[in-house]
Amino acid sequence: MLPTITVNNKKCTDPLSCRKCLLICPTHVLGLGTKVGPKKHQEIDPSQFIVAGVRFEKCTGCMDCVNVCPKSAIQVSF
Amino acid sequence: MCIWCERYADGYQRWYFNPANYARKLYKIRREETEALGAEANPQAAGGMALLTRGFLEALDRNDHEAVAKMKHDVEQIAWTTHFGQVVPLEDILKVIDMIYPIALMTCACRRSMLGIPDEENFTCMGMGPGMYKWERWPDTYRGGIQFLTPDEAKDIVTKLNKRGLVQTLFTFGTPYLAGICNCDYPDCSAIRTTIDYGIHFLWKGHHVARVDNELCNGCASCIHRCQFKALSFSATQNKAYIDLFQCFGCGLCVSECPQDAITMVERASFPALAKVW
Repeated sequence: MLPTITVNNKKCTDPLSCRKCLLICPTHVLGLGTKVGPKKHQEIDPSQFIVAGVRFEKCTGCMDCVNVCPKSAIQVSF
Repeated sequence: MCIWCERYADGYQRWYFNPANYARKLYKIRREETEALGAEANPQAAGGMALLTRGFLEALDRNDHEAVAKMKHDVEQIAWTTHFGQVVPLEDILKVIDMIYPIALMTCACRRSMLGIPDEENFTCMGMGPGMYKWERWPDTYRGGIQFLTPDEAKDIVTKLNKRGLVQTLFTFGTPYLAGICNCDYPDCSAIRTTIDYGIHFLWKGHHVARVDNELCNGCASCIHRCQFKALSFSATQNKAYIDLFQCFGCGLCVSECPQDAITMVERASFPALAKVW
């Protein structure tokens, strides 16, 4: 069963330096990417970074990412 | 012989020993062809891994084998044309380093996306060839900058990364142009992960497999943590290391860790049933 994972980018403003959710996830479900994708000179900007669910099939529903997020930006539902 | 050797070795023992596969001519072809299509020739956009979407996972989840096979096929075709890797044992990587110039240390895009590793701790990737002179064109791909290395420095770094437990792989950027030496591990390398978890053939096995000699293995288990491919386990019954030869990628990491010299690298081609297992 695959979860729905939403990350509120208005609350999660600097995932590159926070990365608490990336480090706590026991199966590395979340990924750090950018809003702009591989686009020249834009992806270097930390404000463009976002966290998103990527490897959904490995999500156990432990909710550690939801609880660790200092901005309460992550929601996981099955 | 793997199909890449059949196509691109041109008389050399392996395709990655053929200097033509590192030539500037190929670098230019990749760049110009990409730009002619109106796309950015950013090397980071070369990959096919980003093409695997939630749709693929949903198809896997509902056991839609037909849809999975189709998506797998499509993604593999793109990857094999533009950007895929092969596991290469350390001794072969050291020979490659002697062939090519320049070599530069750069940050690993996979580990950045998996864990957000800060740039200064993330210099585990190497770029090769003329593209490295142009790194400033793509500051995002080469986030954290690059450090040019002498061949001796490059050999020293890959040897240390190998000791640390990272697998050496060579990656194409517009096949057969070889321009990346990656130092990979599970679960933070996208290529290993996609290959092992989804059975999508981004990362090809190497030309060897590792075999345990049960007479010599004393069951110390010091090799067990070295395998990044779920090929090596420990037989409690026999008190020996156990390698699934069909799953072995031939990186040699377990071999170098064995204090008894009980594991040896054997040519894949010498086993009839493994010769075509890539």
